[in-house]
Amino acid sequence: MDPLIKSAKEGDHLAFAMLFKENYPFLVKYLMKITMNPDMAEELAQETMAKCIQKIHLFNGQSKFSTWLISIATNAYIDQCRKQKRENKWKGQEEVYRKLKWHFESRNEEWNDALEALGKLPVDVRVPIVLKHYYGYSYDEIGAWMKISSGTVKSRVHNGILAVRRELKLGEETEGRHTRQRTTK
Amino acid sequence: MKKQKVVILDNEQQNKHDLDAIHKVQEGLSKVDQFPVYTPDLQWFESMVRNEKENSRKKLRKELSLFLIIALFILSGIIVSFYQLPVVFIVIQIITPVFIAYYTISSFSRKVKINE
Repeated sequence: MDPLIKSAKEGDHLAFAMLFKENYPFLVKYLMKITMNPDMAEELAQETMAKCIQKIHLFNGQSKFSTWLISIATNAYIDQCRKQKRENKWKGQEEVYRKLKWHFESRNEEWNDALEALGKLPVDVRVPIVLKHYYGYSYDEIGAWMKISSGTVKSRVHNGILAVRRELKLGEETEGRHTRQRTTK
Repeated sequence: MKKQKVVILDNEQQNKHDLDAIHKVQEGLSKVDQFPVYTPDLQWFESMVRNEKENSRKKLRKELSLFLIIALFILSGIIVSFYQLPVVFIVIQIITPVFIAYYTISSFSRKVKINE
């Protein structure tokens, strides 16, 4: 096990601080991708670190520390979404990606339609797509973090990609031809 | 007249479109990675860790004292009823397990209904 993690487990504040500082940009960027909201990403990163301090005794060192952080962050975000839904504060999927789009525009960066398509997906579909196709985690790992079966993760990723394809109008022509049958002389 | 079916979209084509979509998503997400993220200094992280540990210690102390106060309150109530009002004590002894059994069964059946 990493000596920093060992010291953090023994209660060394400085070791904890160094671990967090090292992983902070990675964590915030991951949260930005799933929340599509830079402010919420920073807020959740702090919540994730707080949970990490409380649960450090559960970290067994079998995976990377960053992977462990991602699993805690994923749960924190899903919990927050559920809470917002319960309190009827859910603003709808339409607004999710607006903040990120605004950040892109303010930095004169070109906005990507695929991000918009991703932002329109429900949270429980967007998160596994990011984890699978951007970070390369396995269906089993994602399923364990989200407390669902790996088969469910697989179908959510598959349906999510289909929805992105539809949104980006990829393969629409051929699909249209497939559904219709044409008669020629 | 010759009837001609248009070539059916095969798996390979489907996969190609899926891969295109995945590639576009990856491209978009990699742009997010290029965003500069402000990382606070080491002292900020250290004080955050210290505060968090202090808060969880306070929370534990608060929860433990609340638990002890409630436990003392319940126990003293039971002891008083045992010596002063034995009938009430017997009624409580009967009602408590019945209530626990009813509550457990009803919450279990609610869970089963939700999962169905």
